[in-house]
Amino acid sequence: MIVIVNTTSDEAITDTIKQQLAVCKVEAEIIEASNLNIGHCIGCNYCWLKTPGECAVKDDYEEILKKIVHADQLWVISDTALGFINHKGKNIFDRVIPIITMNLCFKKKEMRHVKRYKKNANVGLIFKGEADGDFLNRWMERVALNLGSKSLGAFKESEVKEALSCMC
Amino acid sequence: MHVLIINASPRVKQYSNTDKILGAFTKGLSEEGATFSQYELSDRRSWDEIRNAYYENDNILIAMPLFVECVPGILMEFLETLKSKNDGTKVSFILQGGFYEASQLRCGETYLEMLAKNLGLEYAGTLVKGGNFGIRLAEGEARDKQVEPFKEMGVEFAREGSFFSPKCKAFAGPELFPLPVRIMVGMAFKFAMPSYFTKASKAFGAKKPLNYRPYK
Ligand SMILES: Cc1cc2nc3c(=O)[nH]c(=O)nc-3n(C[C@H](O)[C@H](O)[C@H](O)COP(=O)(O)O)c2cc1C
Repeated sequence: MIVIVNTTSDEAITDTIKQQLAVCKVEAEIIEASNLNIGHCIGCNYCWLKTPGECAVKDDYEEILKKIVHADQLWVISDTALGFINHKGKNIFDRVIPIITMNLCFKKKEMRHVKRYKKNANVGLIFKGEADGDFLNRWMERVALNLGSKSLGAFKESEVKEALSCMC
Repeated sequence: MHVLIINASPRVKQYSNTDKILGAFTKGLSEEGATFSQYELSDRRSWDEIRNAYYENDNILIAMPLFVECVPGILMEFLETLKSKNDGTKVSFILQGGFYEASQLRCGETYLEMLAKNLGLEYAGTLVKGGNFGIRLAEGEARDKQVEPFKEMGVEFAREGSFFSPKCKAFAGPELFPLPVRIMVGMAFKFAMPSYFTKASKAFGAKKPLNYRPYK
């Protein structure tokens, strides 16, 4: 199952994706998040220490998180700001921390957190606006390392076909 | 020298590791005769004031925790409301994270240099340091000892006006741990840490084990 979180207000991208996914019969949950109430991670660490696996911020992210834990792929569609994804897109990544535990291990020479679930979703990014694609690809690789999964890459809005080829 | 310091952690000041780090760092600044004003992004009521300070000051230091390999969402949200300056204002960063190896902070560091440019500010370097997760779990003297080394960096920053000196660069520590250390520490992670973390977790009032799966 694929989870796609669209934090932009542009539903044309998700329409294109929906059509193509129907053709290749891939099961997907598409969440239009631009008008949802999703705050930033407040760094309370409750998802590790107090209520393991559960976020203390009770907003619209909780339903998304419940889907992410069952997903093979997580795609975030985000506007850009200052050469990076904007805060709405970044918040989706920051709030994913409940899917890893506080416990530590070494993977590929670096410290990592032990996963909470058996498998974590591979992660992909579709960005809309000016940004450094090379940097975003490097960042996505790092995000995937932290989750113990793979990066599917960072794609410009105009490259949505390439992103789709990873989904189908 | 006067420095505008912005703590970009979303964690309230009382519990913020960045704040404790800044406590030691600013002692070093003061020792060298530099002055500073410090603001917290976690306090949204002060955002207007911080924005004004951003436009009025020409020496800005943004200190932050690494959040998923880059800047915290709350910092992006704040920065998105700013206009770029292009007036020679200097910006420096303190980037601190939970994991110990310097390699873990390099991706974020690369972004901060890009960010300075995108805000029309002159980049004066990033002080990089990992291994800070435990600050919030420590108290009193043990905590002071953990952040103490940042005082020296405050002195260095007051003298140099940037984080480009070899001393500041070396402060990041090893990029990776050598294999024997990884094996030893890896054993500690496996056999000693879980019970320590479980204890910490109980102190937080946890009723479920650390690896509990609420959604499966
Ligand atoms: C959502 C979230 C993401 C984090 N991501 C990373 C990371 O990618 N790498 C790392 O070394 N530490 C990471 N950390 C750990 C923090 O950077 C570290 O605990 C820091 O000292 C917190 O500082 P603060 O108390 O001022 O917020 C993360 C913490 C949180 C809450």
